[in-house]
Amino acid sequence: MIRVESLTKVFRRPRAFSGPLGPLRTLVTRRYDERTAVDGVSFEIPEGEIVGYLGPNGAGKSTTVKMLTGILTPTDGLIEVGGRVPWRDREANARAVGVVFGQRSQLWWDLPLIDSLRLVGDLYDVPAARFTGSLRRMCDLLGLDDFLHTPVRQLSLGQRMRGDLAAAMLYDPPILYLDEPTVGLDVMAKQAVREFIAETNRIGRTTVVLTTHDLADVEALCRRIILIDKGRVLFDGGIDDLVTAYAPPRRLVVELADDETRAFEIAAGSSIPELIARVSAEHTIRDLSIHEPDLESVIKRIYAESER
Amino acid sequence: MIRPLAGMARIGLRFQLAYRSDVIMSVLALVAQVFLLRMVWTSLYGGQGQTRGLSLEALLAYLSLANLQAFATSPIIPRITHFRIRTGTVFFDLSRPTGYLPQMAAFQAGHTAGGLLMLAPAVPVVLLVGTITPTAHPVGYAATLALGYVISLMMSLLICVIGFWTLETGAISLLYRLVSHFFAGTMVPLSFFPGALGVLADALPFKYMGYVPAAVYVGHISGGEIGRAVAVEVAWIAALAVLLWAVWRRAHRRVVIQGG
Ligand SMILES: Nc1ncnc2c1ncn2[C@@H]1O[C@H](COP(=O)(O)OP(=O)(O)OP(=O)(O)O)[C@@H](O)[C@H]1O
Ligand SMILES: [Mg+2]
Repeated sequence: MIRVESLTKVFRRPRAFSGPLGPLRTLVTRRYDERTAVDGVSFEIPEGEIVGYLGPNGAGKSTTVKMLTGILTPTDGLIEVGGRVPWRDREANARAVGVVFGQRSQLWWDLPLIDSLRLVGDLYDVPAARFTGSLRRMCDLLGLDDFLHTPVRQLSLGQRMRGDLAAAMLYDPPILYLDEPTVGLDVMAKQAVREFIAETNRIGRTTVVLTTHDLADVEALCRRIILIDKGRVLFDGGIDDLVTAYAPPRRLVVELADDETRAFEIAAGSSIPELIARVSAEHTIRDLSIHEPDLESVIKRIYAESER
Repeated sequence: MIRPLAGMARIGLRFQLAYRSDVIMSVLALVAQVFLLRMVWTSLYGGQGQTRGLSLEALLAYLSLANLQAFATSPIIPRITHFRIRTGTVFFDLSRPTGYLPQMAAFQAGHTAGGLLMLAPAVPVVLLVGTITPTAHPVGYAATLALGYVISLMMSLLICVIGFWTLETGAISLLYRLVSHFFAGTMVPLSFFPGALGVLADALPFKYMGYVPAAVYVGHISGGEIGRAVAVEVAWIAALAVLLWAVWRRAHRRVVIQGG
């Protein structure tokens, strides 16, 4: 469904000058600052898959999404979405994809939510009967009824995000790009958003590219993740493989009599009772627990290694 | 093709109605401006019958109409585009199956329609202050005004597109507002502009938003001159269309969406 090969994006901006005439010099300068946001990324995503597209701040995730939607033109490399090159065939691509950017909204701020949703129906030419059906389904899934007629500026973040999800899905696009759709939401709202994504994927076989910093989203929704940093792919594969390949050793954490807490790495294949015996021979143990590595610690470790 | 544009026009209209209090304020300002202009010009005429072929009555009618027109057609889309580029929401506009410029044009048209709706109560007042009587050239007036609106719309679109380069249209649209109002002749008819200023005002397209239709209405422009004005307006529209197309193509290629 989505094929990306050696995708690269270099941002080129006129150099900014300081000083009183700085803005003017910036306007006429021929000197440029360059920044490589995406640097030779390749991956393929089959139809109906939900993929977590992860990476630390500034890794190049949003830039990739902007290129996938056809808004940004790649500096180099190849993109194909549903057999089309997004930036060349913008109109057809536009009909095939829905986008949510958690950090910004496609809803008209000063108008009731329903106006923005109707506009989406018009822009994508959704037949009236299908629109009514879609809207009904969105309202049920996302609980929009309570604030359908409220101006968007009066909505809470979670309500607004639900409105944005509805707007992105009203025309049933086969592909959905979600860039931090749960940012700033409370646990219940996050849950609602996750359920909506899972449901959309299950019913419509929608292909989903999900960017998030909340690994609980990933654990709930994705079986596969693509990890990037500094514009390059660090890992592409199943979450289970990632954990097996990169998991740090399990740790024995003990609380000692003098209120000190200490952690001991449990080497692979070693005996835990033996380790406990060894520790208790030297210290008085008040409490102990074994810490399993979680996705977060795995990803932290990969980020840290890529920093070096 | 029609439905997306109708949808966008509806949003423009709703947007205008959502800022009702702003509109009421500017309608008050409009009425005040027309009233002040009437006072100033009446005293300037000091009982003279005609100045440069305009009687005081015709001049007052002209000023009222020109201001009414300038108010009704004043553009919103440079502001909208400015805001949407700055916040990055322009991303969504660009990801639609319909082009960005048609979307903005439709938005502006809807917004203007909303403005006319709310302007309606003020129209009798302005007409009264300007002592406006029916025109001898209704068709010429309608034609020059409609084409003038299209020119104004295309100029606004041009300002929007420039925003894709500068990522900043706040200052430019303020400047545009000042320049366009001045050269539209909302304070002083263009035929009163001296020497080089008059030549400049005549060469610029802003006069089609104010001076030309209003002057046709009051009979200051008449006969074959009307036909010529219409022809030049059509030429302007063609030229602006080519320019817009060329500029937009380049802007589109270098689109940058801010923030992530
Ligand atoms: N318009 C732009 N001009 C110049 N540089 C940019 C532009 N947009 C992004 N960048 C740079 O490209 C890099 C990648 O940015 P991007 O927004 O894709 O990161 P991200 O992975 O989405 O990060 P985050 O998790 O913080 O949202 C960053 O270093 C950023 O500074
Ligand atoms: Mg981002």
